[in-house]
Amino acid sequence: MNRIEMWLAKAAGVESCKAGDDLNCRVSYVGAHDVTAPIAIDQFLSIGVDRVFNPERVFMVVDHIYPASTANARRNVQKMQEFADRFGTHLFAQGEGVIHQVLYEYFDVKEGDLVVIADSHTGTCGGYGAIGVGVGSTELAAAMATGTVDLEVPEVVNVLLSGHLQPGVSGKDLILYLAGMLGTDYLTDRGLVFSGPGIKSFSVAERMTVCNMGIELGSMITLFGDEQPEEETIRTIELDLSTLEAQIALPFSVADVKAVKEVAGVPITQVTIGSCTNGRLADMEEVYNVLKDHRVADHVNLLVFPASRSIQNEMDKRGWSEVIRNAGGTILNPGCGPCFGAHMGVVTDDDVVVSSTNRNFPGRMGGVGAKIYLASPLTAIHSAVAGKIVTDLSEVGSC
Amino acid sequence: MLTIKGCIQKLGDDVDTDQILPGYAMAEPADQLGRFALAGATDIDFKKDINTCRVLVAGKNFGCGSSREQAPLALKQAGVALVIARSFARIFRRNSINIGLPVLVADIYEEASPGDEIDVDLQSGEIILNGKRFETKPLSETVCRTLQYGGLIPRVRADLGLDETVE
Repeated sequence: MNRIEMWLAKAAGVESCKAGDDLNCRVSYVGAHDVTAPIAIDQFLSIGVDRVFNPERVFMVVDHIYPASTANARRNVQKMQEFADRFGTHLFAQGEGVIHQVLYEYFDVKEGDLVVIADSHTGTCGGYGAIGVGVGSTELAAAMATGTVDLEVPEVVNVLLSGHLQPGVSGKDLILYLAGMLGTDYLTDRGLVFSGPGIKSFSVAERMTVCNMGIELGSMITLFGDEQPEEETIRTIELDLSTLEAQIALPFSVADVKAVKEVAGVPITQVTIGSCTNGRLADMEEVYNVLKDHRVADHVNLLVFPASRSIQNEMDKRGWSEVIRNAGGTILNPGCGPCFGAHMGVVTDDDVVVSSTNRNFPGRMGGVGAKIYLASPLTAIHSAVAGKIVTDLSEVGSC
Repeated sequence: MLTIKGCIQKLGDDVDTDQILPGYAMAEPADQLGRFALAGATDIDFKKDINTCRVLVAGKNFGCGSSREQAPLALKQAGVALVIARSFARIFRRNSINIGLPVLVADIYEEASPGDEIDVDLQSGEIILNGKRFETKPLSETVCRTLQYGGLIPRVRADLGLDETVE
């Protein structure tokens, strides 16, 4: 068995399983946020049971539209509060951060635990070896009631990494490169496991970035394994990390990927750095390191939104927040921020955005015509300073 | 009950859930989403009054992106009776069945034009398009059962003995 089969078999209480098997798996954690929880709560109540399977293992997070931008958004938070009060479940509704980062910081998730969250980026926990499966609200409601979820065992693709990353290249560049290679649906109903000696190049934070975006390739489960090749997979993709350059996804597909140098010079109007994809401390450090010596270009709107309160506290403590603000950046409260076009940085059809987030679909951040380029925090902050897409700041003097 | 007849509206590849139900509408009450259905779509002028043309035919990876169940709910509330695509993103496919919106994988994209008449039997996988017969993989027994109940929650209630079972 490969490691996905091994962990799913364990969750289902069976000795072994293989691709194509249907399993009823016990869940370790169940979560939802302010977009998916309200429907999940309605559906849960209409089942008619009087308790959740285990209140300690059920958590809800207000991260998408916080603080509320409309009365309806606020109503949804009130509904989550009532649910938590009635069923004794965890609620994070005071700006703690994005659900995937909250899970990492507040819960003791173990390798191989099955995490089911009503959010497509649930695979993020694969960065520390947990099995994350994204579901919708109704399936989440059923999981809250039963403590189980029906899953089909996926075929698994192994990405075998060797070599070391070059300076300025990160986990974001790896997953964008793979999106360009495999497309948006090659991994639909499949699993993706990273292994090989090259995985030592990546911190846990970077591994979370890589796994976060597995869903953009269609992946059902994405996670990091160990240095040995994964057994019993349908395909092995070998990649020498030393050949990897900084990557960028062009509007309007995560799979339309080029080396940053190929699109250098494109003028931009907004840069967004943060989210569940790239809002961790190392990402914020990239922003600080550049802005301590440079200013954001005059016509660029830079929005920075750390993934959690603890990350923002650390930025404050180290003096990074003040540096970022004084250089022309605006730091938003921890959460999903402008990633999905509901509030806090909505763009027009005329905007050209470089973002460290995970999606560049038409209308994702507001105007259907807005062009969104996805890149690493380093490429994004360099571009914010230059006022155009750049690979580095060699053309820009320091201030 | 699991046969659907109607005419076709057509969409392309990679129609994501931001196009089906844009981010700005996600906090709207869950029973008032129909008017936002495909409000962000770039390649069609979706007709919200689709009493006649209520079958969507799309290319690959329909429903990719966000897990928002508001997306299939919006389509259902707008009157969509069935989505046929070359392939579906996994979460969207499951969400649709769970809320009682049938989705079927079939490769009829090249043969289908907007306004064409289509007749689909979900249990046998038989499709009649403009009088021509196509075969595709039928929906599984479990999926058909969920659809007969109108979604996962009523099915679970019946399984728990809280409601009568549907024959």
